[in-house]
Amino acid sequence: MFVHIRDLHYKYPNAEELTIDQFNLTINKGGITTILGESGSGKSTLLRLIAGLEMPTKGNIMVGDDCMCSHSKFVQPENRGIGMVFQDYALFPHMTVKENIQFGLLKWSRKEKKTRLQEVLELVNLEGYDKRYPYELSGGQQQRVALARALAPKPKLLLFDEPFSNLDADLQIKIREELRKILKTTGVTSIFVTHDQEDAQALADNIVILRDGKITDTGTPDEIFGTDCDISERLAVKPRVLSKL
Amino acid sequence: MSIIFVSLILLPNLSIIVQFFSESNDNWTHIKEHMLSTYITNSIILILFVGVFTALIGTSLAWLISAYDFPLRGFFKWGLILPLAIPPYIGAYTYHGMLNYTGVIQTTLRNQFEITVNQQYFNIMNMPGAIFIFVMFLFPYVFTITKAFLARQSTSLIENARILGSSSWRIYFKVVLPITRASIVAGVSLVILEVLNDYGVVKYYGIQTFTTAIFQTWFGLGDLNSAIKLSGTLMVIILGLLILERVLRGRKRFSFTTTKVKLLKPVPLKGRNKWLAFSYCMGIFSLAFILPLLQLIYWALLTYEKFLSNELFSVIGNTVFVAFFAATIITVMAIVISNFSRLHRGLTAKLFPKITILGYSIPGAVIAVGIVTLFISIDELIYSWGWTSSYILSTSVVMLIFAYIVRYLAVAYNSVESGFERIGTNFTEASRMLGNSVTQSFFKIDLKLIRGAIFGGFILAFIDILKELPLTLILRPFNFETLATNAFNYATNEMIHEAAIPSILIIIISAVAIYFFHYVLERE
Ligand SMILES: Nc1ncnc2c1ncn2[C@@H]1O[C@H](COP(=O)(O)OP(=O)(O)OP(=O)(O)O)[C@@H](O)[C@H]1O
Ligand SMILES: [Mg+2]
Repeated sequence: MFVHIRDLHYKYPNAEELTIDQFNLTINKGGITTILGESGSGKSTLLRLIAGLEMPTKGNIMVGDDCMCSHSKFVQPENRGIGMVFQDYALFPHMTVKENIQFGLLKWSRKEKKTRLQEVLELVNLEGYDKRYPYELSGGQQQRVALARALAPKPKLLLFDEPFSNLDADLQIKIREELRKILKTTGVTSIFVTHDQEDAQALADNIVILRDGKITDTGTPDEIFGTDCDISERLAVKPRVLSKL
Repeated sequence: MSIIFVSLILLPNLSIIVQFFSESNDNWTHIKEHMLSTYITNSIILILFVGVFTALIGTSLAWLISAYDFPLRGFFKWGLILPLAIPPYIGAYTYHGMLNYTGVIQTTLRNQFEITVNQQYFNIMNMPGAIFIFVMFLFPYVFTITKAFLARQSTSLIENARILGSSSWRIYFKVVLPITRASIVAGVSLVILEVLNDYGVVKYYGIQTFTTAIFQTWFGLGDLNSAIKLSGTLMVIILGLLILERVLRGRKRFSFTTTKVKLLKPVPLKGRNKWLAFSYCMGIFSLAFILPLLQLIYWALLTYEKFLSNELFSVIGNTVFVAFFAATIITVMAIVISNFSRLHRGLTAKLFPKITILGYSIPGAVIAVGIVTLFISIDELIYSWGWTSSYILSTSVVMLIFAYIVRYLAVAYNSVESGFERIGTNFTEASRMLGNSVTQSFFKIDLKLIRGAIFGGFILAFIDILKELPLTLILRPFNFETLATNAFNYATNEMIHEAAIPSILIIIISAVAIYFFHYVLERE
């Protein structure tokens, strides 16, 4: 098991109920796990906990052989070696694509930085765009820069918070397939949050269904949605899934 | 660190509250029985009329300029902020000099047209005159705040109203005034705080208010105790006003979203309306900026020879030095405190902004009282330990700079905070996920992204300090003159012509700073 989350609890200081309630998860190395849940179910909160941007009230998080967080230990986000692609990308507006991507390569030599920049730009198909500023890119291109920036420091684990929600439907399907290919080429372990069943199904090795901060179901896409090809039909015959979402 | 900063601001105010409850003396009993009601009535009349007129003039100008296109509109956009460069006390004696018996207007009438006018109509040194002065030189507060709001928040509402076929007047009264209520209240509160803070205008025009009374009891009667009691009373009134402001502003606080900013497209005016709008803006601009400036330039030409001395340069040096130094400290403190309350949750983080605002609400004369009591007790302490042979802090420029910080921290703070609000915490988080610590992220990302807001805050604080009068009059070290005290002293000693040069310098430096500020805002 590469990622191991045990008994995670979290409550926002001004909230009354637990936002994350007894969350458990294991992921194999190189696996893609999707967390599927409706709006407000706690998906973003969960990612922020794993990233270290929030401190859980209780629970352990292990990534690789390192304990990220337990009752006696809390590793700051900058020292976790976890990458994240934000919902609105959060590309630094005052930096070029190149500067954005190299931003996380803190202790790398000049030459290594340059090679790495070319590598990731190639990976996301944006060679030649390195001198542009974020506002000079289309939504899909920005999304790919955000991915390249997160991949560049070679994170142990990569987190995605609804990375497609700002894209139109056609682009979404195209990028989704590209993304799976990229993730599989680099072999990075990733967690992917969405409220879209199709996203979940197309991308995931494993799906976790989250509702009100609790896990209600887990399994491979086939186990959860069945093996039928037509998604609308499947939704119709699978009331089990619908009621969960 | 931010906790230390914030307590520094609280201390002088606390020292007033503590002393407020000390035993009172005969002076205080006398003041309470005979004078207090006059101070209160005068202050209320001033606040009321100045508030209403600045609101009317400020919002109508803001609306004209945001919604319509007419000659010189591009210039008026920032030109109408310029009257802020003229401190009201300078406006006050300039207008008096223009209108009195020997002034340019009456002289011209007498010599050219052989008309001698009834002096009563030309006497500006009374309550209506003071109201006129305050309105002319303070309305830009309402104008800028309302204009900024109209520019970025209301576009879709106003466009919808237009599509639904409302006439301009209807839109103004049914849509613009209600939705801008919060910003009008915010602007008018600033104006009111300025009026209560003022010493120069009311002193020159002989109107009894709290600030003149504080000066009188303290320096005229040498009675610090009663001055403290007056200050305490004024603080209570201001707290009442601040609460009223909260209530008036209402529950609705319109927050703006960065992504959906759409600019209102101005409608070109035609024919008579075009020239009406133009004359209205031009009329206000002349009264509030051009006329007083021309008069000052004329006086300056009469007297400039006297001034080409080292003394003037040392005064300029002093002024720019203290303003620059204090504004720098203020800006750094504003960044530290607002960054703290941005990144932390909890009560302290929420309270900090409120406390910085407190300093800005308290009139200079009151802060001066608090700071002097505070510094003298510190000096006594140091003296009693035998470290020094005399009082060092309360006789140095340190005290003055400290006072500027207490009073103007809020100015820079507001600007920096709105900058932080605009960028949110997303970029910091993204940077931390890429391996940078909070501090590294702050210097590499946040600071760069809010450069404009920081610079804006610095400029605003700088201008305010440059013009500041009551604090400087009370707290400056012996023989330490700034342009503001210089101008005011000449004017009160009936040497109005000599006051022109330092006044013009203040106006020029402020006007240039205002232009920069506007430029920075427009570019963002
Ligand atoms: N800063 C906060 N303070 C208090 N409660 C919060 C805060 N942020 C989120 N919540 C609450 O926590 C719950 C989970 O929020 P979260 O953002 O994790 O949902 P989500 O599943 O990501 O939703 P979406 O799909 O809309 O992004 C929600 O009920 C939300 O109201
Ligand atoms: Mg979310």
